[in-house]
Parts: sequence; C-alpha cells; structure tokens
Amino acid sequence: MSNNTQVPPVAGGKESNNSVLDGQELKALVEAALTWLKTNQQIVNALNVFPVPDGDTGTNMLLTMQAAYDEVKQSGERNVGKMAHAVAQGALIGARGNSGVILSQLWRGFARALDNYDQMDADKLISALRESRNTAYKGVVRPVEGTILTVASDIADAAENAKGTTTDLIELLELIIEAADRSVKRTPELLPILKQAGVVDSGGKGLYFLLEGMLRHIQGLPLETALTTVQPLAAMELDHAMETVEPGQDFEVVLDLRPSQPLDLESFYDALSEMGTSIQVGEGDGMYRMHIHVPTENRYKPIDYAMTLGTVTKVAIENLLAQMETTQPQESHLTLAPVEPGEIAVVAVSPGQGLSRIFASLGVAAIVEGGQTMNPSTKDILNAFENLPTDKIIILPNNKNIVMAAQATVDMTVKKVAVIPSKTVPQGLSAMLRLMPEGDFDNVVADMSDALGDVETGEITTATRSVEINGIQVQEGEVIALHNGKLIKSSDTLEEACLGFLEAAETEDRERITLFYGKEIGKNEVNQIADVIRNQYPSHELEIHAGDQPHYQFIIAVE
Amino acid sequence: MKDGSNLLGNIYISHRAIATIAHQAALESYGVVGLATKNFAEGITQAIVKDPLSGVEVTFTGSEIQIDLYIIIEYGTRIKSVASSVADSVRYQVERSTGLPVLQVNVHVRGLRISNPD
Repeated sequence: MSNNTQVPPVAGGKESNNSVLDGQELKALVEAALTWLKTNQQIVNALNVFPVPDGDTGTNMLLTMQAAYDEVKQSGERNVGKMAHAVAQGALIGARGNSGVILSQLWRGFARALDNYDQMDADKLISALRESRNTAYKGVVRPVEGTILTVASDIADAAENAKGTTTDLIELLELIIEAADRSVKRTPELLPILKQAGVVDSGGKGLYFLLEGMLRHIQGLPLETALTTVQPLAAMELDHAMETVEPGQDFEVVLDLRPSQPLDLESFYDALSEMGTSIQVGEGDGMYRMHIHVPTENRYKPIDYAMTLGTVTKVAIENLLAQMETTQPQESHLTLAPVEPGEIAVVAVSPGQGLSRIFASLGVAAIVEGGQTMNPSTKDILNAFENLPTDKIIILPNNKNIVMAAQATVDMTVKKVAVIPSKTVPQGLSAMLRLMPEGDFDNVVADMSDALGDVETGEITTATRSVEINGIQVQEGEVIALHNGKLIKSSDTLEEACLGFLEAAETEDRERITLFYGKEIGKNEVNQIADVIRNQYPSHELEIHAGDQPHYQFIIAVE
Repeated sequence: MKDGSNLLGNIYISHRAIATIAHQAALESYGVVGLATKNFAEGITQAIVKDPLSGVEVTFTGSEIQIDLYIIIEYGTRIKSVASSVADSVRYQVERSTGLPVLQVNVHVRGLRISNPD
C-alpha cells in the first residue's frame, strides 16, 4: 500500500495501490501496531485507575498483540482473510487481562468479516470494523461505556458514516484514527472514575496507539521513539536506565524545570536529542522532570539549556560507568537449593533480586520473576519446574494475581503440584520456614498453608492516582499502606504510612518486624524509618533486608 | 453474618447482599455472558437467569468470605484470562463495598455460549 513516491512503501513488494490490502500488508500493519504500542506501553499503564501501581493494561494489550504477531511472524500468507484469522487465533491464545481479551474479540470479529477474501478494500474495512465491534459487545452482558468498547464502537460508526466517500484505505484510516482520538478524549465523560482520576481510559488509549502505529508505518514515521513522552511524574521509570547503558552514555542528568513560559515540548525534545539519549520527560505540578543520558563532554549541556527555559532545581548528575562497575558484583549468581529426586521442590515467584536471594537461602529450588506488573504466565511457572529432577512440586505465588496462573499448571504436567495460596511475599517466606523437603507431600503442604496466617503483611508504596478506596481518600503521590492486601492508610510521609500499618497489624502483640526495602528507596531513608520503628517498638526484633522489589518502598512482615 | 457494631447495635451483612454485589461485578466482567444455576443439567438457555443468588455461592470461613461463581463464558475468548478477570473484579468490588476480606474467589466455568460460529 504505497502512498506517494516520498514515502517508503509498506511491505508487499510489488506495485500496489491505496485501495486494497493483502495478507502480507496486513501482517506489516500488525507488526507496526505492536511496535508503536510497545513504545508507548508505559503511557498506557500509567492511565490505570487504581491507587496501587498495578497498572498493566498496556502490558496486557502488548502481550496479547505480541502473541497475535508471533502467530503470523513466519507466514507468507497473501490471503487477507486467512492472515486475519491467524492473527485472531494468536490473540486468542495470548489474551491477557480484560483488555487483552477484548482485543482478541475485536480481532475475531475483524477476521470473520474478511473470511476468505484475498484482499481488503474500503468497504470491507468498514464492515470489518462493524463486525469487530459487534463481536466484542457480544462478549459481555453489561458493557461498560467509556472503555475500549466505546472506542471500538465509535470508530465503527465513523467508518460507516464515511461509506462511499472514499476508496482510499489510507484516507479511511486517518478518519478512523481521528474518531478514535475523539472517542478516547470523551471517555472521562462516560465513566465517572476516569473523570475523578483525571485520565482517559487506558484500554481505549491502547487501541488508539495500535491504530496510530499502523498509520505511522504507512507514513514512514519512526515507531521506536514515543512522540511526546510526557508522562505523569510517578510513572517515570528512572531505575531501568541502569540496565541499558550504551557506549557514549557516560553521565545521567536529571533535573526539575519550572518553565517561565509554556514549554514547546517538540523543540524541547529535539534540543535534548542533540545532546544525548534515553530521554524521559515527566510532567508534575507546573513543572517538568527531565532525564537524559549524555556523553562526558555534554554533561552540563542539558542543565545550561534548561536554564534558558526557566528555573532549574534538583539537579543530579550521576557517573553511569562508575555506577555500573560497583553494581556488577551485586548481580551475583543465585544459589538455589539443589533438588534430590523424590524430594519436594518449591518454586517461588519473587518480585525482586534481594527477595529471590532470601527465598533461595530458605531452600527454594526455582524462582520465577514476578511482581505487581509482570504477571508471569502459567507457562513461565511451568517452565520453572518442569525440568527439576523430582515429581513433587510446591508453588508459592506470593501475589494474589498469580495464584490462578499457578493453579493452572496442575493440569499441565504429570508432576504432583500443589499451590500454596500465598498472596504476599511475607506469607511465602513464612511458608518456606515450614518446608521439609523429605517430608510427606500432603502433610508438608498442609503445614506450609497453615503458616500463611502466621504473618501480617504490609506493603508501602506511592499512589499513582487520586482515588477513594475503603473510605480512605488517596491523593496522587501520597504514600499508601496496605495491610494484607487491603488499603488502610494514605499519608504524606513514609514514616506515617509505615507506623500506620504497624498499628493496624497490632504489632504490640507480636515479636518481630522485618523490613524488605525496594529498589526505589535510598539506604538513608531506610535507616531513618528503621530508627523511627525502633523508637515505637523498642522491645521488638527488627530485621532489615534488601528486597530490590520495584514500586514498593517497603514490604513489611510482622510475626 | 456480623460485620461489626456501632453505637446503636450490630451490623449484619447477609449472604444475599454479598451475592448481589458479586453477581453484579461478574456480569460487568468481560467475557461473562451469564451465571449458571447450580444444577446445570437443562442447558444453557435455562441457566442464564437474573436471580441474584443464581450462580453465586457465598460462604464464610471464620470472618472471611469465600465466593464461588458459576459462570457462562462467551465462546472464542480466552477462558483463563476471563476467569482471572472475573475473580479479580468480584473480589475488588466485594471488598470495597463491604470492607470485609475475601479469602477466595473460585470461578467455575459451567459452559460456553456460542454467539457466532467461527
């Protein structure tokens, strides 16, 4: 589907015009949609309206699209109907989360409309969008408006209204995207919780990105760097920067800028791109936080530049290479417990390196990287234990979202598998203390399950959203405390949140407090909090460990 | 089931109240097209009923709630993902509305409804 001579043609090879599309071209569009969504994944995740950083709509839609694309990656199919069916099949198999399932339904309807057709023209696209919407709506009794369903509906309507006005697929796509954009912007009007939180619907936005990716591909625009990556401040993933230090990136510069007049983001971006890479810009209250990696000779350039635009504060310059050298030894090999044939092996899902080490030291035989936004699949968990030299497996999911995925492995293997429904890391650790690898399977499972109630779990994190939950008002950016998974306090300070949890957990009647601190908190702050806790509970044992978990400053165990 | 007391007396939240919340949450969940009756022998059409108690069982273990859902799912969706979402959604809604902890949500997929032959 080539546009004009200035724009590189979409895959398809030989001479094609704008009015039809074949299987291979569809495949290229699917890939483009996938790539663009991947690039904008965090933006979508940040739109989730839960106070806990559980947001994974972007990730779920991405995983679903990835599975859809994987299904056709190697295919040379030119028949557009067959290609669409294969994509839909892949989406079905890989559907994750609510948004993923809806996406799979949209593809299903889309494919059905194109059944057996070699090529898709404008009319067929219109009916495909209609069928897509209809199929998706059939999948639920009470569709909630102001979601991805609404966007799908609006674009089907827009396409329908354009029937007969054009045979050019590109024109039609542009029209559809405009409709999608309007629809997404309208979602807060339809769903009160979105308006309250001040965001648009995440699923709808995800769908918008998929469509936009397709258009950008046709227009020859880049898909790997996001447009205006102005994200909510809380969504900035600055710690990931450490893992991908490329040559030429010697220093990391982070600063806060209060611009003296409205910032032209495009040119801000362009200027920064001349200086370095890994640029992230977060928007806060009347200010922006900028993050960039630069070669040594440019290390002051971003600061000088930002100072021409307004007031610069909180400047941080970090020497990346020196940091890398010191953190290398920390990534030491995890020594997992060796498994004797016939003995019980435990698989634990762990959200952080430090926690993985602790699980390993308690006798865990295999670790699956988990945590709040990762959602390991059943297959991930299965792979962790399938090759262990024993047929007695116990799984500790350590997260309530993973319990079901773990449970599903039971039917997928000949091994004897029991899932201990640990909903938090402290519960998992508590269960591990009762492990007897040589014991009777059923007795050990019962014993470990009993242990879950021994510990009270606290999770301390920062709210990414302002919401009201359990009668508690939460402001974005506040520190929130969860007790056994339930939100019980929101506060301005880490200190108050931690103490609030400890009180709710009736710590006075207990003996030991263990703090697992996360990736995002500094040692100084950890020590400060530890002191405060020691003052409050002087006769209790207090242990502090590095958990390295993302998002949660602290995971606290009270026994 | 007693939730707590206030100055005037005691607060009781019934099985039926919780079941209603769970039922509502389940029907809003994507992929769920109905809730099945307990004795699912007659076929799908009879099974999809609006009675709030149908398809939802609420049990109390101590002071924690256990919910069993008997659902009908739309054919062509990924059953595991739908079931997972329903469980999450029901737990969230019940805990939020009642303030009581939900120990378990068990999802029993009783059947599939075929809206479109593929």
